[in-house]
Amino acid sequence: MSELNLAVVVKLEPDLSEGNISYNADGTLDRQKTKNTLGPHSKIAAQAAFYAKVKYGGKISIGTMSGHAANNALQIAMETCDADLLQLYSDHKFAGADTIGTAEVLKNGIEKMDGKMDIVFSGHRATDGETGQVGPQIAWKLGLTFLGNVISYDVDMEKRTVTAKRLVNLRGVPEIIQEIEAPLPVFIAIDPSYKYYFDTVSLRLTAEKYKREAHERAQHFDDYIQTFTREELGADETLVGLIGSPTIVYNVQRVPKGKATRSAKVLDGSNPEHIRQTVTAIKEAFSAMVIK
Amino acid sequence: MTEEHYRHVFVIIEHIDGKLLPVSLEMLGEARRLFDDYNNRYSANEKVVAVVLGDNIQNLSKTLIEHGADCVVVADDPALHSLINKIHTKVICQICLDKDTASKIEPSYASEFQRPRYMFFAADGIGRHLSSTVLAELDSGLASDVNKLVISDLEISHPVKTGGKKIMYNKTLEMYRVDFSGFLWTTILCLDNTNENYPLREYSPQACNIIPGAFEPLKPDSARTGNVIDFKPKIDEDDLKIKVLSQKFVESEVDFDNYKAVVGFGRGIQESPEKNIKLIEEFATHLNAQIGTSLPISKNVFSASPATTSTYMIPARVIGTSGQKISPMLYIAFGISGAMQHLSGMEDSQFVISVNPDENAPIKDASDILLRGRLEDVIPLLMDEIKKQLPEMEIK
Amino acid sequence: MEQYDVAIIGGGSSGLAALKQLSNLGKQAILLEAGSKIGSKNMSGGILYSKKPKKAKVTNVDDLYENFLSDAPIERKITKYVLHSTSKDKIYSMDLTAAHDYQTNFACSVLMTRLNSWFAKQSSETSQKYGGGIIPGVHVKSITWNEKGRAIIQTDELDEFEVKAVIAADGVNSEVAEMVKARSKFTTSQLYQGVKIIVKLPETIINERFGVNSDEGAAHLFAGDVTLNHIGGGFLYTNYDTLSIGAVYHFDSLLNNPVEPSSLIDSLLKNPMISELIKDKVPIIKEIDKSLPQEEQLKTRFDIAKIVKTWNAVRANYLTSSCTDPDAAKLQLERTEEKMTTKFDIDFGIDYVESEYGAKLIPDGKRCMMEKPFFKNILFVGDAAGRGIFIGPKIEGLNVGIDDGVRAANAVARALDMDDFSENSMGTYYSQLIDESPYTTEMKQIDKDYLKIFLDAAKDIPKDIIGSRYCPILKMMSSGAFRGIAVKFANMFGYDKLLPMIETEDTYVKIPIQLAERLGKTLSSSYSPNIPSISERISKLNYNDDFVSHIKLLDTDNEFIHNMTTLCPAKCYAKENDKIILQYEGCLDCGTCSQKTEWHHPRGEKGIHYRFG
Repeated sequence: MSELNLAVVVKLEPDLSEGNISYNADGTLDRQKTKNTLGPHSKIAAQAAFYAKVKYGGKISIGTMSGHAANNALQIAMETCDADLLQLYSDHKFAGADTIGTAEVLKNGIEKMDGKMDIVFSGHRATDGETGQVGPQIAWKLGLTFLGNVISYDVDMEKRTVTAKRLVNLRGVPEIIQEIEAPLPVFIAIDPSYKYYFDTVSLRLTAEKYKREAHERAQHFDDYIQTFTREELGADETLVGLIGSPTIVYNVQRVPKGKATRSAKVLDGSNPEHIRQTVTAIKEAFSAMVIK
Repeated sequence: MTEEHYRHVFVIIEHIDGKLLPVSLEMLGEARRLFDDYNNRYSANEKVVAVVLGDNIQNLSKTLIEHGADCVVVADDPALHSLINKIHTKVICQICLDKDTASKIEPSYASEFQRPRYMFFAADGIGRHLSSTVLAELDSGLASDVNKLVISDLEISHPVKTGGKKIMYNKTLEMYRVDFSGFLWTTILCLDNTNENYPLREYSPQACNIIPGAFEPLKPDSARTGNVIDFKPKIDEDDLKIKVLSQKFVESEVDFDNYKAVVGFGRGIQESPEKNIKLIEEFATHLNAQIGTSLPISKNVFSASPATTSTYMIPARVIGTSGQKISPMLYIAFGISGAMQHLSGMEDSQFVISVNPDENAPIKDASDILLRGRLEDVIPLLMDEIKKQLPEMEIK
Repeated sequence: MEQYDVAIIGGGSSGLAALKQLSNLGKQAILLEAGSKIGSKNMSGGILYSKKPKKAKVTNVDDLYENFLSDAPIERKITKYVLHSTSKDKIYSMDLTAAHDYQTNFACSVLMTRLNSWFAKQSSETSQKYGGGIIPGVHVKSITWNEKGRAIIQTDELDEFEVKAVIAADGVNSEVAEMVKARSKFTTSQLYQGVKIIVKLPETIINERFGVNSDEGAAHLFAGDVTLNHIGGGFLYTNYDTLSIGAVYHFDSLLNNPVEPSSLIDSLLKNPMISELIKDKVPIIKEIDKSLPQEEQLKTRFDIAKIVKTWNAVRANYLTSSCTDPDAAKLQLERTEEKMTTKFDIDFGIDYVESEYGAKLIPDGKRCMMEKPFFKNILFVGDAAGRGIFIGPKIEGLNVGIDDGVRAANAVARALDMDDFSENSMGTYYSQLIDESPYTTEMKQIDKDYLKIFLDAAKDIPKDIIGSRYCPILKMMSSGAFRGIAVKFANMFGYDKLLPMIETEDTYVKIPIQLAERLGKTLSSSYSPNIPSISERISKLNYNDDFVSHIKLLDTDNEFIHNMTTLCPAKCYAKENDKIILQYEGCLDCGTCSQKTEWHHPRGEKGIHYRFG
């Protein structure tokens, strides 16, 4: 059976690790001073594609829409999954896009990849922005069956179907594991807990072989980059960027609570007044906003 | 916006195994509150429409109406039994655009009706993706993880949307969401393009997915009435090739995620383990809290009854790097000194109180309040005070 | 079932050497390593030797890897080797460089995580060419045999598979040896426990302090009161821009007088000579004002972390011999320091900078080298075969393992050609090769020439300090005239009978203390090192905890297990309410407790992962 055509859409995101991240005085991210890197969920998506490449054979193309230099992210993506092609979509007309505008660009990009895609992968959500909308919207625009929160998957190369296990989280009931079968082509949004697993010596050896190849390719990854402007992509200018975006960010306000280092107030457990204060604090904790 | 074309709020209801998920009633509650005010303010007669897809789900309608729905659109079909994104997306869109259904929702608006004004989905494992694909199909705006909603008339000037001009956008849904840093609330608006330099575009519905627990449901009122509208869905043959092979709940022994409060205990119980654990159990029940432990407890070093041992001195209860990572609104640690691996398990909690006789225990650095004392002395005092200040804890 | 020719179990320097040799010979071999990356579970003192024994040849690391000296991540070539006797603030030093250089081409300080990683890279392409390769993240749990005599390997992670030959290179706590019952576990009298830390120190400061060039280094050994009365000693090796500092003590002597292993390191760090050698300039960060709003505290914390990171990078760039523009670098450093002081109120002080803590057991080849280093179609190499050289200050393990690995590979290659993997053919042949190894000879007999060099170095020791200690045979050895006969007698008498007389508290503790007090210089240290606690040391390590324990307690009602509450280097054992409990989550995989527990290495990718090694 022929190989699989695999695509991974990835996002350039701020590097939030201590030592790299910079904050503004109001606690917001200082994007100018914070380096960008391959988003962690995008990296997991690349790992998911790698699984298919090792197990079934195939070609992996990476696509990303970015205004900044996305080199760092693309290099890491290359190293992660031994990609065969790196595509960068960059045009000032793409700026300010909300999820629909972004999905439109990425959809056009995927259509420009080599061959018709069997599986398109994305991460679950970005660490900044965090809507998780772009993946399903790209899938819809491409007419692909969307499978979200995938924790494992396999392909039946004969029947050309995917069987995937999904983790569905619903408040009020325990976690659900769902096994679903769909004919190719599909869009897989990978769950953050995904880890690929090769269970035979031969698969492991193949994986190591490709990892080595990935490392070599990553040393001169720019040889693999194709860049596209809006025109080259053939994207309708009324459907991308701010123009093509139904939503805008209207307002930004401070939220009273934030996760930061704590400084404990020490109270005396035998003092009735302190007990009262503690319970008042408990009461206030429950009435605070749910920030998830 | 040619507003006659857009009416009502469609709330996409979620259910499993024949039972409504709590978030469905929460969304209805907020929709009801918003629309009672909306209809009053704008002298309108728009409806809160619950949309339910499934197989054999007729009995849900009554509850939905009791919790605030004016109408329930029911698409009942075996093909809708498992939630397959593609199929459900198409059916929801059919419903949104169906004139016949619109005429049954509110006849006086039916002739001009094109699509809903607003749409609510749940921000959970189903709704996040469903809302994305529905809005991709309807080609309109979606805000995710919303926890505050306001409907207002806004005068807006935007370089691209309005070409810099001041335009009045009436009946705009302000959708508030917290950004990833946790410090900022951004307000998202879904607005028509009125900029003359570009093709004019109307974007409807204005949609959002809503965080479970963000809003309160109404108290069910059996006196409420509403109409139930049956919808016959059109299912694509091809889509039936997508099959759910199996679906089951993961029985993780101890569920921390669905609790707003968690109580943890550690070596502090050692004077009388059985008695102290029973005390902690009582306390946890008051707050409707889940109970977890520090690592040493799972090593089974404190003697207690077989029942207590098998319930609490197990790895599944451990909060920490080798156990579970929790992030409840409230975490109270009794007799836990604060080993680093326990701290990394609970440091994401919103508010942390620790009770410890040593006011310099390491857990102090991860706490908002350290209450100095032994747990057996402090817990009874706390419980009395809780009974006074929080008589009916409505924490779920 | 998948079939392969050779399985090498264990990706340390031994296993990797076997893989390299098999690849050189065009043979298919797969290497299984439990760590998630090669090198991440390796720990060494560490110095790697390249030797030129008089009587026979060995395969040195630079023979096996031709580009070793030019390309490998070697730390420094050790050119100075000094033994210090300590007593409080007095130190008596003996230059042992001649002993160190005996039959040696070169010796270099190494950090095993990166070195083994490099070894792996040298073999990966060739081994893949022959259908084999390296598979990390796999833990072998059992081996069985089919009717054809092929070994079937069961792992925690993969479907089982069949091989014709196995090379067991899984270290001193070899599970392969135990699971097939090729030998019993090493006893405490056959083992040493080693613990060490990595200390960071800029390259040019190391050069200056130790009086070496950038590619040279020094090895300092310590005996006397720093040992806290145990048999063994401390060491300090210079790496490129770090130091390896640690202690190696006979397991029995630790059981007789249990002391927490990390305190054995601490006792070294407090010695004035060592304190002064390891000190560096450090930023002193004041606690963030808790009355400030949370967001500002957060911003400040991250900003400080960022500038300290920058300072370290700028400083490292300046204090290196390869700095292209020292003046510019110095200026940049001064500017950064000024910013730290004015903007963040950061002061600078003196302290040492500690990094990774680790531990391992070391087999004493003289006492535990496997007489029959094979079992069915499994060949045992290196530490797994108990083959470590341990003679006074002479500790060699890495080079032995590498040479063993090559011998085993040769025996396996021959067996593949002959299609005969039986004990009579492959096993016996391998055993012969091992017998021919000069390292084996060293583990069996005293080398009188080495002895002479060692004694020459010690000639200044006053005779009365040695006094009535030691038996006549040993006394005779110090006399040039009688040494030859004495050595012959000694070798007839047997190493094992002689050793208890040499390896004593007298040798490692009392004599050095007397030496230091009598002849030593007084040294003082200008500061008091800020030494982390054991829990701080453990918390800085990188673990991937499994949800099950890899060690099972059996009967805990014995003195050995009770001693583990002191002797486990990671403090995994504790006494709670009269019960001994084990918290496996901090385990260093050293094997100290393996004697009386059901001990396994963690499953694939689980457990400790070292950064330096």
